Amino acid sequence: MTVEIGQFALILALTLSLVQSILPVFGAWRHDGRMMAVAVPTAFAVFALIVLSFVILTHAYVVSDFSVLNVVENSHSQKPMLYKITGVWGNHEGSMLLWVLILTFFGALVAFFGNNLPPALKANVLGVHGWITTAFLFFIVATSNPFRRIVPAPMEGQDLNPILQDIGLAIHPPLLYLGYVGFSVCFSFAVAALIEGRIDAAWARWVRPWTLTAWVFLTGGIAMGSYWAYYELGWGGWWFWDPVENASFMPWLAGTALLHSALVMEKRSALKIWTVLLALLTFSLSLLGTFLVRSGVLTSVHTFATDPGRGLFILAILTLFIGGSLALFAFRAQTLSSGGLFQPISREGALVFNNLFLTTATATVLIGTLYPLLLEALTGDKISVGAPFFNMTFGPLMIPLLAAVPFGPLLAWKRGDLLGVGQRLMTAFALALLAVAFILYRTSAHEVLAAFGIGLAVWVMAGSLTDLALKSGIGKVSAATALARFIGLPRSVFGTALAHFGLGITLLGVVSVTTFGTEQVVAMKPGDTLPVAGYQLRYDGLTPATGPNYTEQQGRFTLLDKAARPVDTIISAKRFYPARRTPTTEAGIVTHGVNQFYISLGDDMAGGGIVVRIWWKPFVTLIWLGALAMMMGGFVSLLDRRLRVGAPAKAKAPRPVRAEASA
Amino acid sequence: MFRLDSPRGPIMSARMEFWLIAVLLTFAATLAVLLPLTRRKTADAADGQYDLEVYRDQMREVDADAARGLIDPQSAEQARAEIGRRMLKAEHEAKQQDNTKIPGMQGARWVVLSAVLSVPLISWSLYALTGSPDVPAQPLAERMAKNPADGSVNELIARAEAHLAQNPDDGQGWDVLAPVYLRLQRPQDAVNAYRNAIRLQGESAERTLGLGEALALVAGGTITGDAQAMFERAAALDPNDIRPRFMIARGLMQEGRNGDAADLLQNFLDKAPADAPWRDQLKTAIERIRNPAVAAANGPDQEDVEAAANMNPEDRNAMINSMVATLDERLKQNPDDVEGWKRLVRSYLILNRRDDALAALKRGNDALAGEKRNDLVAFAKGLGLELAEVKP
Repeated sequence: MTVEIGQFALILALTLSLVQSILPVFGAWRHDGRMMAVAVPTAFAVFALIVLSFVILTHAYVVSDFSVLNVVENSHSQKPMLYKITGVWGNHEGSMLLWVLILTFFGALVAFFGNNLPPALKANVLGVHGWITTAFLFFIVATSNPFRRIVPAPMEGQDLNPILQDIGLAIHPPLLYLGYVGFSVCFSFAVAALIEGRIDAAWARWVRPWTLTAWVFLTGGIAMGSYWAYYELGWGGWWFWDPVENASFMPWLAGTALLHSALVMEKRSALKIWTVLLALLTFSLSLLGTFLVRSGVLTSVHTFATDPGRGLFILAILTLFIGGSLALFAFRAQTLSSGGLFQPISREGALVFNNLFLTTATATVLIGTLYPLLLEALTGDKISVGAPFFNMTFGPLMIPLLAAVPFGPLLAWKRGDLLGVGQRLMTAFALALLAVAFILYRTSAHEVLAAFGIGLAVWVMAGSLTDLALKSGIGKVSAATALARFIGLPRSVFGTALAHFGLGITLLGVVSVTTFGTEQVVAMKPGDTLPVAGYQLRYDGLTPATGPNYTEQQGRFTLLDKAARPVDTIISAKRFYPARRTPTTEAGIVTHGVNQFYISLGDDMAGGGIVVRIWWKPFVTLIWLGALAMMMGGFVSLLDRRLRVGAPAKAKAPRPVRAEASA
Repeated sequence: MFRLDSPRGPIMSARMEFWLIAVLLTFAATLAVLLPLTRRKTADAADGQYDLEVYRDQMREVDADAARGLIDPQSAEQARAEIGRRMLKAEHEAKQQDNTKIPGMQGARWVVLSAVLSVPLISWSLYALTGSPDVPAQPLAERMAKNPADGSVNELIARAEAHLAQNPDDGQGWDVLAPVYLRLQRPQDAVNAYRNAIRLQGESAERTLGLGEALALVAGGTITGDAQAMFERAAALDPNDIRPRFMIARGLMQEGRNGDAADLLQNFLDKAPADAPWRDQLKTAIERIRNPAVAAANGPDQEDVEAAANMNPEDRNAMINSMVATLDERLKQNPDDVEGWKRLVRSYLILNRRDDALAALKRGNDALAGEKRNDLVAFAKGLGLELAEVKP
């Protein structure tokens, strides 16, 4: 099939989503069921057309069709098949197409699972979703067409940036986009509610699964991006407070706040206006992230092409949606009734506390990210707001929040008993103190901050286990009963505990690797050994090797235990990709339990030696394992029965046959 | 079926295939809009009904929480009352909405019509603006399978490269590709290809000569030791080939061994057959090497400049000195050359021989007359030389 079908399907999808943007909303305004009903089939059709378009582009990559400019610029006939496929979104045009693919995927999901939604709300939600789809499809067709042809077709492509030729490209962008774009559904729900001027507990219940889904994927996307940067860039760091990282972290913080405030709204009908605002802000931050990363404002491995026209276009979309939705919010917010009273010390109060700290943290990151950009735009001065700023502001904000985490799930709704909860958390508190004492003892009281950091992590983990233990009545009732109650607990309780536990795991990893990790930069010659974390590391020399589209020099290292027996071989390499004339470094990483040895090769020395950077990273994998636990928690919560609200029977509706006859 | 020998056949049918699919897609997309609009009027459950479902669910949850002791009985009672109030309100709304009429479509006919029509109209006009329906798909494998005679040079090279990537031990392939690379100024690829050809097909004068040229080209024209070794090997392999000898001589000249270079070529010329077509050319070349004066008569030629660029500073100075001497000699015989005098004065200045520059200025001043003399004096003044400085 010709590539042009992909282009045609893209345009057809744009046209259809334009219809989806207008007709259902107009129908909802006129109470016209038939116009509203257009929303569902168009949402499906737009998704199907984008899938077709995406499949055709992927096919062009697979068969190396160099009559497509995008394939020429980002592929090579000798590239391994996996990278031919992942290369589809390893560039500006393709990644925007993936963005829209996921956007329309969520649109189709809403259409599919939306039977329990009132028709007018569903029509408005899908209509607003259509606005976003139309804007981005128009952006693609007008400025970033992936199907642009080139005549005559060259015989070979320019290959993909070697840094992107990694399994990470297969996982990180799709996960991250599922997160980023998933919040578009919350946004559409919020705008739809503002249009209708009617919002209630039911709204929160319909929105929550979408928030959870997006949050799970965004968590995974950020964690994967962090691990990818960790092993690919060869700097040994897992988070740099880089603007591109912050761009994904801000929606995550706001999304986490939204997740918690939607809970209050759903259960207690309170915090309605705030939740709607958070839903708008979360997706706005996603859009801001897309703008920062895609416009070329920031230079990073994510910047595929800097084209001022494109940047301006995304900025226009950004302004339209953020400005428009906030204006609508200002205009309609007072029509939303508030409800649900509660005491400050209560589950609701705890969740408000959570929201306060999370949104302040979001604002901190936002300022730290945008301030240097604005300053540069206004005065031309280049300043760098690095890790110290974020450690000074973001860190202290997180401490009270983390300390409060175990209290939240234990407090009762409406009116809680802080003292009672404190008593029930005594075991967890004792465990945390024990951890602090242990670290102080082992480090001869040198690492006070680390001791308290690890104590905090243990507190969060033990606290979430306490919640499970108390809710299943362990220690109060017989073991059999406790087990039965444990199994019978709502999945959302497990989800909460898992996610909070994961937070503790991540914190443990962060504190351990920051405090107890070691870094050495040495020049080594073959045969040299170096003591690292109780092992001896021997450098065995460089061997050349050839990959499918690169050549490399592999530095081989052997890890010897105390008895000088080899335990592991570590290979760290310097690669050269001839098609792009680009060198890359491949870090050599060996995982022992949750600890890692991390070796990165530097420059050759005169006389056969080489500069080697060696890191010992204790507990480092906990950082990402914690994120996995958080994802699992979100996933388990999604399975909770109460998120599946049935659709009402249509028996109470006016008899359809007579209505037809009288029409 | 399409016949492969008809070049227009497959392209035409690919186009027809495209238009057919485009029409079908447009039709399906239009139906997605049209069908819901033409369905029979049915009434959905009122909004309140949907809310009621949620509240009933919430009520069940409060009961479950209370049973588990997560909420104290008093609060549970309050919560039930709260939800109950919401249910009453929702029920009331649902009843109200039951009575509202479902409006007809009369007033919105034009909206519906334009929505349905916009699907084919907008999509086809946008495609007309941005698409290229005449460009067929060109998967690489298909292009490679085409008759090679139709292909361009680049296509042929790509074809050969793809073939060699699969069969890196095809010596004949490397042998064909190597000189093509050399001619296309891709010396690194040429070096690689020649090395492979030699590895697989054995040495030959042609291959070693080509490798030498490629190596020299990689080094920016300098005949490196590696390249020189290759030329010598080529010369040994074919005692009658003049090309490697020329290259060797060039290498010797780059080292400043002009005499050796001339001897080498002279030696070859002596043994060469009398009817060799290149005899005269070779003779001139030897002449030029032996008497750089002849070469320098019209200023340094491109080759000399290139050679100078590749020399170390001492050699370069020696070469410039010899060229200046040649010029000086020529002006003695032919003094009426204002440009020559200017060049000489400047050359001496560049060589830091100010006295010689002044002497040259004086000689020029004596030799020239009128306009030309004034021209030279003004030129020298611009360089900071005054006739007055000249010692009598």
